[in-house]
Amino acid sequence: MAVQETSLKKPSLTLRIQRLLLTQEGVLLIITLIASLIVSTQTDKFLTTENLLNQGRLMTEIGLLALPMTFIIITGGIDLSAGSIVGLSAIVLGYSWFNKGYSLEASIFIALAVSSLAGLINGLFIVRVRVPPLIMTLATLTFYRGLAEGIAQSRSVRGYPAWFYELGQEETWGIPNQLFILVIAIVITAIILSRTTFGRSLYAIGNNEKAARFSGIPVSRNILLIYTFSGFMAGLAGYIFVSRVSTTRSDMGTGWELDAIAAVVLGGTSIFGGTGSIVGTVIGLILIQLLKNGLALTGVTGDATIVVIGSVLILSVLINTIIQRRTVGV
Amino acid sequence: MASVTQTVKPISRRFAVPRVLRSIIGSQEAVLFLALVLLIAYVGNENGRFLATRNMVNVFSGNAYIAVAAIGMTMVIITGNIDISVGSLMVTLAMFSGAISIYTHFPSWMSENSIIWLAWIAPLIVGGIVGAIIGFFVTYLRIPAIVVSLGFMSILKGILIIVSEGERITGMPDGYALAQRHPLEKVPLPIFEDFFHGLTMPIFFMFGLIILVALWMRYSATGRALYAVGGNAEAARLSGISEHRILMLTFILNGFFVGIASVLYATQFSVIQVTLPPIEMTIITAVVVGGVSILGGTGTVIGAMLAAILLNTITKALVFVDISPFWMRAIQGVLILITVLADLLRRQRQSA
Amino acid sequence: MQPLLELQHITKTFPGVKALDDVQFDICAGEVHALLGENGAGKSTLIKIASGVYQPDAGDILLEGKPVRLGSPHEAQSQGIATIYQELLLYPELTVAENIFMGHAPRTPFGAIRWISMREKARELLASLNIYDLDVTRKVGALSVGNRQRVEIAKALSLNARILIMDEPTAALTEADVERLFNIMKLLKGRGVGIIYISHRLQEVFDMGDRVTVLRDGRYIGTKAVTDTTEDELINMLVGRSIDNLFPKAETQIGNVVLEVEHLNHKPLTRDVSFQLREGEIVGMAGLVGSGRSELAQSIFGLLPAQSGIIRINGKAIRVRNPRKAMRHGVAYLPEDRGTQGLVRQMNLRINMSLTVLRMLSRASFINRQKELKLALSTIEKLSIRAYSPNQIVGKLSGGNQQKVVVGKWLATMPRILIVDEPTRGIDVGAKAEIHRLMGELAKQGLAILMISSELPEVLGMSDRILVMREGRIVAEYSRADATQENIGMAMMGNIENGHPVEEHQMDGV
Repeated sequence: MAVQETSLKKPSLTLRIQRLLLTQEGVLLIITLIASLIVSTQTDKFLTTENLLNQGRLMTEIGLLALPMTFIIITGGIDLSAGSIVGLSAIVLGYSWFNKGYSLEASIFIALAVSSLAGLINGLFIVRVRVPPLIMTLATLTFYRGLAEGIAQSRSVRGYPAWFYELGQEETWGIPNQLFILVIAIVITAIILSRTTFGRSLYAIGNNEKAARFSGIPVSRNILLIYTFSGFMAGLAGYIFVSRVSTTRSDMGTGWELDAIAAVVLGGTSIFGGTGSIVGTVIGLILIQLLKNGLALTGVTGDATIVVIGSVLILSVLINTIIQRRTVGV
Repeated sequence: MASVTQTVKPISRRFAVPRVLRSIIGSQEAVLFLALVLLIAYVGNENGRFLATRNMVNVFSGNAYIAVAAIGMTMVIITGNIDISVGSLMVTLAMFSGAISIYTHFPSWMSENSIIWLAWIAPLIVGGIVGAIIGFFVTYLRIPAIVVSLGFMSILKGILIIVSEGERITGMPDGYALAQRHPLEKVPLPIFEDFFHGLTMPIFFMFGLIILVALWMRYSATGRALYAVGGNAEAARLSGISEHRILMLTFILNGFFVGIASVLYATQFSVIQVTLPPIEMTIITAVVVGGVSILGGTGTVIGAMLAAILLNTITKALVFVDISPFWMRAIQGVLILITVLADLLRRQRQSA
Repeated sequence: MQPLLELQHITKTFPGVKALDDVQFDICAGEVHALLGENGAGKSTLIKIASGVYQPDAGDILLEGKPVRLGSPHEAQSQGIATIYQELLLYPELTVAENIFMGHAPRTPFGAIRWISMREKARELLASLNIYDLDVTRKVGALSVGNRQRVEIAKALSLNARILIMDEPTAALTEADVERLFNIMKLLKGRGVGIIYISHRLQEVFDMGDRVTVLRDGRYIGTKAVTDTTEDELINMLVGRSIDNLFPKAETQIGNVVLEVEHLNHKPLTRDVSFQLREGEIVGMAGLVGSGRSELAQSIFGLLPAQSGIIRINGKAIRVRNPRKAMRHGVAYLPEDRGTQGLVRQMNLRINMSLTVLRMLSRASFINRQKELKLALSTIEKLSIRAYSPNQIVGKLSGGNQQKVVVGKWLATMPRILIVDEPTRGIDVGAKAEIHRLMGELAKQGLAILMISSELPEVLGMSDRILVMREGRIVAEYSRADATQENIGMAMMGNIENGHPVEEHQMDGV
């Protein structure tokens, strides 16, 4: 008894579209399209190149956190300390440059190194001491933020040289500079996750860590890598954020980890691990930014938009759960 | 396995004393209590003013609202769920309570006293309702609690900002400041009169509620069912426990306790701010450091309370040992790590 | 005699599958009625109908001759039908007494639990089962599997169960625990409890059963009194064909030593172990559960890196620090628990099969999906795995087919040394024979196979040489000619009184 012939043929186009629409990414894509349609009928300021690019600029930092967060959540982990590492990175950058007198280039390097180290420490405890990721990163959420506060002593650093602001505030060919970094990061992480052995191992770990280990997959090493990567990306986000807002404060990035997790979950990655995609996360990010922007443009007061975002998060996951239940037919 | 070795012991004995003792000494609660005592002794030795009545009262009352909120969170985490919307809910309810107390258009038959009581009670009910809504999503629509509460965190935060328009609330009536009352003030006492007179309301709320809930969770049928659902939901369902009912109750109670915490939070100063410190993380930290397993099924509210007090003690102690308060959180973080690791080590040794 | 419970003309359909088709079954007071069938034959569905989890599409359920409806597990319980599932449904954080009385604890008029009387009653219940060594105030999480099962049985009795359904109760038990279980079952029989007993082990059916009913492909095949039937007849009924030789160990050319282990230690379960394995040879490894066989295998495979000792592969000493290192030297290990160790059950066949050979299927760590698909298709073909597509989720296959996927994923690594740990546990007779045949063929091709098994007939039938482990040591070695059930059994047991470290196992569900 082998495989039936029919199943090997490629499914018909309509069937494939139908399948796509039934995934969380599909549901989200539809919501995003409808939302942008509604917003663009309400205001003509929305569908302008300038506005859209500016929105891209604003979502870069959270986006950089959400990409490694997707990796981590797929393995069944979580990184609550990412927002605190953003703050730590910003403070270390300012402190090395202003107080210690290192060159700004060296300071950026130090900030990124410290952030990666912070991520590595998370990973080491999770892998070697077997502290559950939620608890480990909850502890370092406090600890890394505390380090930032302790180093900063509530002083902020300003007055960086002009070239420093180029990344966060200038444009190349009309496109905000940091957007290049985000797009490159998206492409690379998407390829890693969907095409490489490393990406495959993350899914296997998320579904059954033991079986992955028994299959000869370097589970510990890979988990260590993704938490370190998360630290690095948080550091990068911190640097870009400082460059965008021109100042360094210890409370930078507070709560960002939750925004990043929201984007990841909205994008269809199961919070229990094992499934998910970068494409989903990116659509999740775009939808959140779109809602913020669209509502603001149509006159809804700034922070009120988060009400809508919260509702969309719950609703989209609800719709997805219902669809999954129907198709699986339990 | 140990069960093989301890054959036919007298069966009628009700308390196996050595084991009870051993389990108390080995518990996370005992570790925290010891840490608390040592810390207070150490700092008191470094600087005697730390042990002054007023300061001690501050040490114990400062995080009382966290401890009260941690009661609900303990239950939620024991059932294998989590709720990260409690911080937003607490501040929202605090603003709500304050707003009632200064609202001037109540019908004239309502005395000032009854308005104050309304301001104290209403947040509890609203908290319970919000908890019920979250519980409904988790229980009946089967969306992971972390997702629902993440969504509700945004929703509540947004509502808070829209309604308050970012303004703080002041000018509450005198009788409103529940958290600043000293209930034993008028009671003459033979010893430690100063100390007992100085005790503020939040301390009584904290100890009272914790003791009640600890007993309830330890001995009542429903309380035990919480552990059952968290320990093995599948089993609970097949053995006829209504998992849905228990989960709904858990989330409603969680909202209710956040309501109580919000009143304590609102009445501690003469202003209520809209600022949102990451309260939910402090509460979850207290619960986790208190020994509640994030995987569900184990832990007590007493551990969570001790952890909440310990966290506040650390904060308050820094000033007395000449450490810049800006290092407070870093030290807190390290201590959280140490307690978590100690707990982990203890569990590994127990299971080995 | 009026049966306690009768299931008549039961039919149950799930989307796409007819799980049960006109099946009948009955149980009388004081008898043990064994239910046999390959995986996917419909046993689980039938007991789930008897215990109220599923409702039949057609057919009648009669309790003492009167028709009843069992709408939920709760209703079935209140009618006196209790079920003990394979994965025990207990609360690890609660005490023994609480677990026994979960849901029906003695209460005061105010709804509070009467703790003291609950403990007393729990003790009485356990004493009525001749269990005196179980402290009712202990947390269940700290108990051994055997003790947990006793708690489950006590729980069923506390509900006044007249019918007890046991789903593969011996699957995860040690020999001593099995014996105790059988004693308890005899006690219950004497009290008039009817026991529905499901097991893969025919021997147990003959030891404990009064009658036996066989299902195949969702259909009722027949019911026999145990005294009137033979093992051969039952196997015939089970698979619908007669299997002449269950263990086709072909004569092979035994070649050079490929694996040599000297004084290997990983305390406490691997102690000073030395042995050799040759090309084309199948070495069986017998021993009780917890005797350290799996741990030894995992040491060789790098999952539990050895603390001291030498592992030589093809004459070269190698430090095996992790599974990748072992795999690079041609070692493959089929773990004993395919559900948690062997497979990622939520993922599909293709992904599971390529998991061990991702490196071979990729260039610069990019996976070649064409190659991956081809590998999956050819493995499905070669091992005749019953799946409709390589994209089928592994967890939805039957146990035998799941095991074949595990075999497939390890054969893909083209090993020279194959360690198989309980290769046929919990799979049906047909699939078992196929796996045995395959192992024979592999040996013929020159593979060296170390086979860990708790089934003595399998060990005796398949092995060229047999090693026996006890308490982490190899205590005996027999050639194929010298080995008998008796002498291996003696070596396994040794002196039981010393007690063995009990290992906890989990069987995957059906």
